[in-house]
Amino acid sequence: MSEPMPPFELSRPQTVGQAVKALNALPEGRLIAGGTDLIANMRRGLVESKNLIDISAIAELHEMEFGKDGLRIGAGVTLREICNDMRIRADYPAIAQASDGVAGPGHRAAATIGGNLCQDTRCIYYNQSHWWRKSNGFCLKFKGDICHVAPTGRRCRAAFSGDLAPALIVHGTNIQIAGPGGTRRVAIAELYNEDGSDYLRLAPDEIIIAVHLPAFNPMAPVVSAYEKVRMRGAIDYPLAGVAVSCRRSNTGEAELQIAVTGTNSAPFLLKNVSPFNAGDGLDNYLADLSKLIQKQVSPQRTTTAAAHYRRLTAAAVAQRLARKLLLESSSG
Amino acid sequence: MSKRTKGEPGTRHAIAGKPVPLVDGIEKVTGKALYTADLETEDALIGRILRSPVSHGLISRLDVSKALALEGVRAVVTGADCDHTYGVIPIAMNEYPLARDKVRYRGEAVAAVAAIDAATAELALELIELEIEELQAYYTAEEARAPDAVLLHDDKPGNLEREVHHEFGDLQAGFSNAAFVLSERFDCAEVNHAQMEPHAALAYYDDERSRLTVHSVTQVPFYVHLMLARCLNMDASRIRVVTPFVGGGFGSRTETLNFELIVALLARAANGKVMMRLTREETLITHRGRPHTTVKLKIGMTNEGRIAAVECETVQRGGAYAGYGLVTILYAGALLHGIYDIAAIKYDGYRVYANLPPCGAMRGHGTVDVRHAFECMIDRMARELGLDPFQVRRMNMVAAPSRTLNDLMVNSCGLGECIDAVEKASGWKERKAKLPPGRGLGMACSHYVSGAAKPVHWTGEPHAVVSMKLDFDGGITVFTGASDIGQGSTTMVALAAAEILNVDIARIRLITNDSAVTPKDNGSYSSRVTFMVGNAAIEASKNLRKILVAAAAKKLDANPEDIICEAETFSVRGSEQSMMSFADVAIAALADDGTINVKGTFTCPPEAQGGKHRGGAVGSTMGFSYAAQVVEVSIDPDTCLVTVEKVWAALDCGFAINPLAVEGQIEGSVWMGMGQAISEETVYANGLPVHGSLLEYRMPTIVESPDIDVTIVESIDPLGPFGAKEAGEGALSGFPPALVNAIADAIGIDMNTLPVRPDRLMEALVARRRKDKITARNSEEVS
Repeated sequence: MSEPMPPFELSRPQTVGQAVKALNALPEGRLIAGGTDLIANMRRGLVESKNLIDISAIAELHEMEFGKDGLRIGAGVTLREICNDMRIRADYPAIAQASDGVAGPGHRAAATIGGNLCQDTRCIYYNQSHWWRKSNGFCLKFKGDICHVAPTGRRCRAAFSGDLAPALIVHGTNIQIAGPGGTRRVAIAELYNEDGSDYLRLAPDEIIIAVHLPAFNPMAPVVSAYEKVRMRGAIDYPLAGVAVSCRRSNTGEAELQIAVTGTNSAPFLLKNVSPFNAGDGLDNYLADLSKLIQKQVSPQRTTTAAAHYRRLTAAAVAQRLARKLLLESSSG
Repeated sequence: MSKRTKGEPGTRHAIAGKPVPLVDGIEKVTGKALYTADLETEDALIGRILRSPVSHGLISRLDVSKALALEGVRAVVTGADCDHTYGVIPIAMNEYPLARDKVRYRGEAVAAVAAIDAATAELALELIELEIEELQAYYTAEEARAPDAVLLHDDKPGNLEREVHHEFGDLQAGFSNAAFVLSERFDCAEVNHAQMEPHAALAYYDDERSRLTVHSVTQVPFYVHLMLARCLNMDASRIRVVTPFVGGGFGSRTETLNFELIVALLARAANGKVMMRLTREETLITHRGRPHTTVKLKIGMTNEGRIAAVECETVQRGGAYAGYGLVTILYAGALLHGIYDIAAIKYDGYRVYANLPPCGAMRGHGTVDVRHAFECMIDRMARELGLDPFQVRRMNMVAAPSRTLNDLMVNSCGLGECIDAVEKASGWKERKAKLPPGRGLGMACSHYVSGAAKPVHWTGEPHAVVSMKLDFDGGITVFTGASDIGQGSTTMVALAAAEILNVDIARIRLITNDSAVTPKDNGSYSSRVTFMVGNAAIEASKNLRKILVAAAAKKLDANPEDIICEAETFSVRGSEQSMMSFADVAIAALADDGTINVKGTFTCPPEAQGGKHRGGAVGSTMGFSYAAQVVEVSIDPDTCLVTVEKVWAALDCGFAINPLAVEGQIEGSVWMGMGQAISEETVYANGLPVHGSLLEYRMPTIVESPDIDVTIVESIDPLGPFGAKEAGEGALSGFPPALVNAIADAIGIDMNTLPVRPDRLMEALVARRRKDKITARNSEEVS
C-alpha cells in the first residue's frame, strides 16, 4: 500500500470567485484539480495543508476556445484533451507533444494543464518517504536547512519537471491569473523563479485560470516541436525537456525560440539565440546552439542520471529539433 | 503464438501439451482474486514498522512507553520480544525479526506497532524513542573487505559470509592449449524483483487456544511455518499458514521475511488480528534481490573456437545478513558448468557483508551476472578470432547424457535446436551485415536448473507430495502445497492429473497452500515445481487410476490389464460395448471403503544431488533447461538510448505441459532480463534507497517491451513429468549479454557495466571519441 493519506477537509467551489475567496480565507489551502502531483506528495508527508480546495467543478476552467485572438485553454483542461485535440496538434504541435509525453495514459486523463504548470519541483532528496527524509535530516525545500544536492549553496536546487511549460514558452503564451483584485495576464516565463523551494510567482490567493496562445497565422506559420530525454518511454519525468519553435520571415531568416525544462529549478527561454540565415551553414549554427544550451542549463544531482548527461542531451535534442524544424520550414 | 520444435514425434498425450488458460486466470483478470492485502480486515489492527534511520550502529536506548500509552495502540514489539534468529539456510541464520542491540542497514526493523488504524500506528512510531551509537558503515564490497573494516557480524572475519574455491580439471594445461586468452571485469548492478504486489501479511492469534494463523504473500509457506514456530517459540502444530493469490515472487519471497514474523509477534502481543501492508519503499527495503556483482573472468579459446579453460572470480555485495547468500555465491560458480563442455574451470567466490538491505534469491539465482560476463566474452573472442558466434556455441555445447566436471547430471539438452531456431528466425545470416548504422544484432545462450535436487532444508522426506481425494460426487480434489506465483503451477498439476486419469480438467478441483489442509511442499523456488510436484501429481494420479481401473474391472468382469479409459469412459479392450461412465466407476470404487484418498511423492535420486565436494549440492538438479536468444537493438545517436527492437528466444523446457504458460514464462524471463540490462538498478545515498518507488526503480514500461518471437524446444527429459523441465528462468540470463553483444555490433562499443543506461553509454562514447582524437593527433605528429 501507499503511505496513509493524511486527513484533510475538502471544499468544492463552483466559480473562480468562490475559489479565490476560499484561498483568501485559508492562505495555506491547496488547490486540487487532477491531483496527480499533489496526492502523491500528500501521502509522502510533503504537504502540510489540511485544506484542499477542489476546483474541478468550476465549469469555466474546462473551456477551450479558438478565437481570432488565439487559443484560450482553461486551466482545468486535461492533458489527454490537449494531446487529442486536432487543432492543437496542427497549430501548436510542441504543446500536443509535451502533453502526450507526460507520465502515462491514466495520469493524462486526470492531470490538467494548470496543474502541470504548477507542478512541484523534484529532487531525489525530496520525493521520498517521511522516514527517508527524516533519516537524512530533511532538506532545504522541506523542514531542513541544507541542500543535499549542493550543500554549500544557499538555495534549493530541485528541478522543475513539468513538460508543458517550455512548449508554452516557445509559443509566446500568456497566463491568466485570478486573485482577489481581479485577473491579470503575464508572460508565462514570468510565472517562475529559479529557486526549487520558491519556484512559483503566485500569491497564496491567486489561481491560474487559463493560458492564452497567440493565433496561428497561416501567412507566417510557427512550427514547433517538443522532446524529452528520459530513460523510459512512459512514466518518467524529463531528465531534460526541450521545446523549439521556428518562424520564417519573408527574407528567409528563421527565428528560433528554445525553452528547456528538467535541468533547472525553473523552465526558461534560452537567451541570445541568434536567427538562422541559410548562408550561415546549418551545422555551424547548430554547433553554436549546442554551446549556448550547455552554458545556460544547470542540471544538478537531483536525479539518479548523471547531471552531465542531462546537459549533453539537452543540447543534442535541441539541435535535433532545430535541424528538423529548419529543414521543414524551408521546404514548406 | 509460439512455435514448437518437437523432440520425439511419438510423444502423444490427450491433454498435456495443449495450450490452456490458467485455471486461476479468470479470478485474476476479473479482479476477483483476493490477494493477502485484500483479505477481510474489518476487525484487524494495522501494523507498522519502525525502521532504523542509520546504516550501522549499536542501539543504546529504545523506549516505547509513550507509543504504548497512545490511545488506540494495542501492542508494541521490539527486539526484546524475540531472541531467536531466523533465516533460510540452517547454518546461516543470523537475522532477528526486530533488531537486537545492533542495526546493520538503514531500514532494518527495530520496533513495530499495532493500532486501531494506520494514522494512529504512524503517530505511535513517531513517539518511540530510539538512540543509536553509530558505527562505520560500508556500502561497497571493497570497503567492507578492507583489512581494518569494522565487522558487521563478530563471527564473520573480513566481513565475508562465504568464500568458495573450486577447481576442476587441469587449468594450466587448458590455458596452454588456448590460442587466445582474454581477461575482463564486469560490474552488474544490484536489482530487485519489483513484483507487482507489495508485501503484506495478516496474522490472527487466539490466546484461549494458543493458536496462530498467518496469511502471507510467500512462495515458501513451509519455511514461514518453521520460522514462525522458531521465532515465536511455538509448537508448529498450533500454527496454520495460508497463502492466498500471490502477485508475483521471482525469488523475493523464497525465504521467511521479517514482516511475516513481526505481524505474528504483534498479533500475539495484541491477542488479536493484525494486518500489515508494506509500502513499495518497504518492499524494496525488504529486498532479497540480486546482489551487486563483480565478475573477473579469464577464458582461453583455441583457434577453432573450443573453450579450453575458464577462471572466474566473483564478488557479491550481499547486504547486511546471510539470507541465501552462501547458495547464491555457490550457484555463481556451479553454473559455469552444465551448458558448455569445458576441460578446466576454476572458480573463486566471495560473498561480502555490507550495510545495505540483504540480498537473496532472484530469478536465475546466482547465474545471471556470471553468464552475462561469460556470453559477452565468448562473443568478443569469436569476433577476435573471426568465428561465427553461433558456431562457437554449437562447438562447445554439453552432450546428453553426461555428467559435468563438478558432477552435475545432464540427461537432456536441446541447446543445439535452440541455437538453430533463433539463428533462423532472426534472419541473422541474411541481415547481420546489412543493418543500418546504429542498429545491431547480438546473441547469447543460457541455462537453468529444474529445481535444487537437494533442498536447503534437508530432512530426508520426499521432495514433493501431492494428495488426492475422490468422493461420492465423482469430483477429484487435488491438494498441493506449492504456491502458484503466477507461473501456472496449479494449472500444471491439474493438467498432469487430467492427463493420467483421462478426465476433463473441469472434474478436477485444486486446493492449494493451506498448511491445515494441503501436504507440505518446499515451495516455489529454483524452478522445482513442474519437475517435482508434476512428477508427484503424476504418481498420485496413477495410484488413483489403479483403484478406478480395479473397480471397473470388477464391475465389468474383466482383468484390470484389459481395462481402457478414454474421455471419462471405462471399457474392456476388445468388447467396447461394455462401458462405464467415470461417475459409475467412482461409485463402484467407493463402495467398499468410502472416500478415496491417495497420494504421490517424488524424490530426487542421490545421483542427481551433486558432487561430494563442499558446496557440491548447489547447482545439482534433475535437469537443465537451455535457451538461446537473439536481440536486435537500435541506438539513438543523440541520447544513447537503447531501444530493443525485437527478440527471438528459444527455450528447451523438455516438454511443454501447457505451451501457453511456457510461452508466457519465456517472454517474462526475456523481459525481466531486459530490465536488468537496460534500466533497472538500486541506488543508495549513504545506505538510503533512492530507488524506493517504481518511478525511480526503473523497470521497463509497455513502451520498452519488444515483440518477442518464442520457440519452444522439446528435448523430452527421461525423468521429467511427460519429459518436462523448467521454463521460468532459463531464458533470463541470455538477455543481458545478447543486448550488450548487439550494442557492440551496432556502435562498436563493448560495455562491461549493467545496466547499460544511456548516461553510461554516452560516457563510453565520449571517452572513445576522446581516445580517437588523441590517436589521430598522435598519428599526425608521427607522420
